[in-house]
Amino acid sequence: MAELTYRDAVARGIAQEMERDNRVVFLGEDIAKAGGVFKATVGLYEKFGPLRVRDTPISEQAILGAAMGAAMTGLRPIAEIMFADFLAVCFDYVANEMSKMRYMTNGQLGCPLVIRTGNGGGVRFGAQHSQSIENWTMMIPGIKVVAPSSPVDVVGLMAAAVRDQDPVIFHEHKALYAMKGEVPDGEIVDTLGTAKILRAGSDCTIVALALMVSRALEAADRLQREHGIDAEVIDVRSLVPLDTRTILGSVAKTGRFFTVEENPRLCGWGAEIASIVADEAFWDLDGPVVRITTPHIPLPAADHLEDLALPSAARIVDRIRRVMNG
Amino acid sequence: MASGQGAAARLDVPRNDDIGIEQRLYLFRLQVEIRDCEKRAYDLFLQNLIKGTSHLSLGQEAIAAGFGVAMRKGDKSFCTYRGHAHTLARGAPMEGMLGELMLRDIGLMRGKGGSMHLTSVEHDVLGSYAIIGAHLPIACGSAWRAQYLGEKDVSVCFFGDGTTNIGAFHEALNFAAIWKLPVIFVCENNLYMEYTPIGDVTAVKHPAADRAASYGLERILIDGNDADVVLRTAQAALAKAREGGGPSLIECLTYRHSGHSRADPGKYRPPGELEEWMKRDPLLIYRQRLREFGVSDETIEAIEAESRRKVDVATAACKASPSAPVELLTTDVYADGGWAWRN
Amino acid sequence: MTSTVIMPQLGETVAEGKILKWFKSIGDEIKEGEDLFEVETDKVTLEVQSIVSGRLDEIRIAEGIVAKVGDVVAIVGGEAVASNAVPADAASTTKAPVIATAPPRSPFEEVATPLDRFGSVRGPEGVRVTPLARRLIAQNGLQLGQLVAVAKLRGREKIREKDVRAALETRLAAPASEPVAVSPTAAAAAPLESAALPGDVVALSAVRSRTADRLAEAWRTIPHVFQAIEVDFTAIDGVRQTRKEAFRTSQGFALTFLPFIARATCLAIQAFPQINARFSNNALILSRDVNLGIAVDLSHKGLVVPVVRNAGDLTLVGLAKAMNRQIEKARSGTLTLDDLSGGTYSISNNGTFGTAFTAPIINAPQVAILSTDAIKLKPAVVSTAQGDFMAVRMIGMVGQSFDHRAFDGAYSAAFLSTLKRILEQRDWADELADYA
Repeated sequence: MAELTYRDAVARGIAQEMERDNRVVFLGEDIAKAGGVFKATVGLYEKFGPLRVRDTPISEQAILGAAMGAAMTGLRPIAEIMFADFLAVCFDYVANEMSKMRYMTNGQLGCPLVIRTGNGGGVRFGAQHSQSIENWTMMIPGIKVVAPSSPVDVVGLMAAAVRDQDPVIFHEHKALYAMKGEVPDGEIVDTLGTAKILRAGSDCTIVALALMVSRALEAADRLQREHGIDAEVIDVRSLVPLDTRTILGSVAKTGRFFTVEENPRLCGWGAEIASIVADEAFWDLDGPVVRITTPHIPLPAADHLEDLALPSAARIVDRIRRVMNG
Repeated sequence: MASGQGAAARLDVPRNDDIGIEQRLYLFRLQVEIRDCEKRAYDLFLQNLIKGTSHLSLGQEAIAAGFGVAMRKGDKSFCTYRGHAHTLARGAPMEGMLGELMLRDIGLMRGKGGSMHLTSVEHDVLGSYAIIGAHLPIACGSAWRAQYLGEKDVSVCFFGDGTTNIGAFHEALNFAAIWKLPVIFVCENNLYMEYTPIGDVTAVKHPAADRAASYGLERILIDGNDADVVLRTAQAALAKAREGGGPSLIECLTYRHSGHSRADPGKYRPPGELEEWMKRDPLLIYRQRLREFGVSDETIEAIEAESRRKVDVATAACKASPSAPVELLTTDVYADGGWAWRN
Repeated sequence: MTSTVIMPQLGETVAEGKILKWFKSIGDEIKEGEDLFEVETDKVTLEVQSIVSGRLDEIRIAEGIVAKVGDVVAIVGGEAVASNAVPADAASTTKAPVIATAPPRSPFEEVATPLDRFGSVRGPEGVRVTPLARRLIAQNGLQLGQLVAVAKLRGREKIREKDVRAALETRLAAPASEPVAVSPTAAAAAPLESAALPGDVVALSAVRSRTADRLAEAWRTIPHVFQAIEVDFTAIDGVRQTRKEAFRTSQGFALTFLPFIARATCLAIQAFPQINARFSNNALILSRDVNLGIAVDLSHKGLVVPVVRNAGDLTLVGLAKAMNRQIEKARSGTLTLDDLSGGTYSISNNGTFGTAFTAPIINAPQVAILSTDAIKLKPAVVSTAQGDFMAVRMIGMVGQSFDHRAFDGAYSAAFLSTLKRILEQRDWADELADYA
């Protein structure tokens, strides 16, 4: 067992898979010699060499296109798109190409690749470098989407993503790179499509993702101490495939459902889950289904404004308390 | 590693080597079959047996045939939505291609992809791509894989003149050049970007050849309607790539006889232009070439008759084929063969 | 080796069932063939046996919940399932959790919308009831009226889970411990089927609910026309009276008017085949066989219509036996789905309570239904060669509701007229010769 930062866990997960399988290669901007702009891939170039860990020009379309061509013909590439916002630059490959290849070719070709990207805000990078865009990727049929909230999940889910035969978008959170957590020694392989109940509770279900997970946990603690509300907190971890079973099981137990989402309000990832709950778990609900999200605005650079925008533990506590007691 | 700039090896394009009568007959047969198959596709579209859209290669057969003969098994083709000719040139069966256009179960992808996405991994056709330029970086990725694993195949992507103005073209060329990838970029310049003359929308006269220097590549501009020229150029480029000499950008001048797609009657072309180019029809050129090399008219006619027969047999098979079973609606979204996104 | 227990195929048109009761708990050992759970469909309630032996590891669908045919309702296992294919020694590897996958949903219905209805959010007197509270009230047989009264007393406009839980605890504890001004008899919340009081809201069982839907649909889509004809049952009654002792001794059940009516109906249908048909897409599909449905009232808890197949081939006695068998099965709750399907014509027998005539609702997709009511002594005019006389006769109305799209009143009237003639003039003694 060791204490690792989230960023070190990224390098550890990639290294674990590159050691295991010679077909795993890694490309991106400043990922090799510089170890990544977020220092999340330090040491990989030294360990695996310039043939397996390659710096690219600033060419997002070429990065994803090349990853796709390599994956289609036998490699297991990991491609970095530095800031998740930049996925918009090469979104053709996500929306039109890699997601549809298998279907259009009737199973002749597939794209077993991983796109890892720095997602999320809270680090004062301004509107074009701070977005949470997991929901953009969730809505394309044929893509899988994960967003780990802790170092151990980073390693396990990275391994699962690399081993998966479908294109997986791996959303790392920029504000979590410095986070520390316990990571067991040895090989760690998690399973896509599994949510985790991080805090068992009986009064309400809170579903959160990535950075919002720790805030939901903090809120649950305060809800219990200050208001006697015993919340169950679920880290959804994987948006596609989605572990609806765990979520619905929790709602069946508690009767109340909340999401905490960093993405702007409209069509956030929680909207889909809220819809499933309101449908399938209708007769388990003792109150309305509520989403707690960032407002539907671009994110400001100013720190006090950005902190207001993203759901804070205080805002989560307040919202849940008012809804539950109403 | 060398950046690929400056000291790129010159492509040696031999002019006096004998291609050999067998290869010539094969080149001719391919062009004839492509022509006949595409004409049949035209007719089937008029009969509403081919639905949606279809982009025909009538008049551009020599490029597909030349590369089809030069490429060997394992070399990979990446095409655009105007990919019927290339798919046939790599040996995919006619009924597979026509069947896919007719959206029947006999089609190469059982009707799930359609005309614009013809794919046959068995014949090394790794997809036809409908988003302009998307497949150029993908071809680079395939080439990277070959380079990384030490495999000796070459990846070839075919695209039109319009592609040379999109971002992915430039990213791919730069990428291929700096990593010295075994990839060949073949621009089929048929003078029109969809409905607009390419000259109106491109800053340079030859949209591909005049840009090669920007990527440290040799300027290669050839007559795309002479299959021998295409064959020799292709062979040289393939050999260079296979030996680690890096990528080539080849611009083939050609012309399409029909409109951009089936929906387009091509009325934007200046009068006389089509007639001029019809005199340079690849089949006319190659018939004459065969005669120059002593092939009899009987042999030529026999090849043409056999081609027509094959197209008729394929057409009958496609017409007899049912549509894909409805279960295929939801298969192969994911690698497990299914579509499930939740438990 | 784990096995999944799925909701079995319960009948051709049945898509789902509600689990009423689990006979085993998690951890129990089950043997192959043992009853595992009880399921209610819109037609019938049945026990489902386990097809494997093992330990009941998991119950996926709880009591009171509806599952679709094919859904996994439970897991029967032996050893714990191995986790996903991760090699390496146990000491240093973190194993991944196992994801048990449910059978795939339809791509057009990726979310399993519940089909249960437990009532509206709008309760009486402006009180709102959460969906969960509604479900708990229905599943526990509580009475909404009481909960509404409690809420009103406390000045509340909403009934939530905690209110229902409180009411449940009150029910378990001594009655009248709750200082609420409700009547003492109502305080001990009575089971739903009996003692429902005015103002109570009685949730429909799945059977009633589905039947209600079908009846409404039939009424809405079929242009019903009703006709009745008066039949003189005196002759039949004469035969019945002289034969009934021997019949009962021999067969073990009473000989009623119903088998006579059923037999006559089968005979009449031979001359009027359009009566025994199905209406579909502007065509009338005549059936070769007469599969006669007999409506059976289940002590006011619902109606089932078990079918006697090939009734046209049966003699009077054969019909009587077959009908009795089906009625017994209906009353004892042992009808199978096959007993309830394939009917081509139905008879609704309403005579027990003395009604004059009944216009029943057609059992879609059939095109007509016969009704019989009380057969009793009445004054009637009898024509003889010697003239017309007043006499006391056994008279009963036989009616038919029919689908006017299938045929006209004249056809139906002619059928009824033929039926009357058969009933009044057939040599019934001959059919019961064995029971003299």
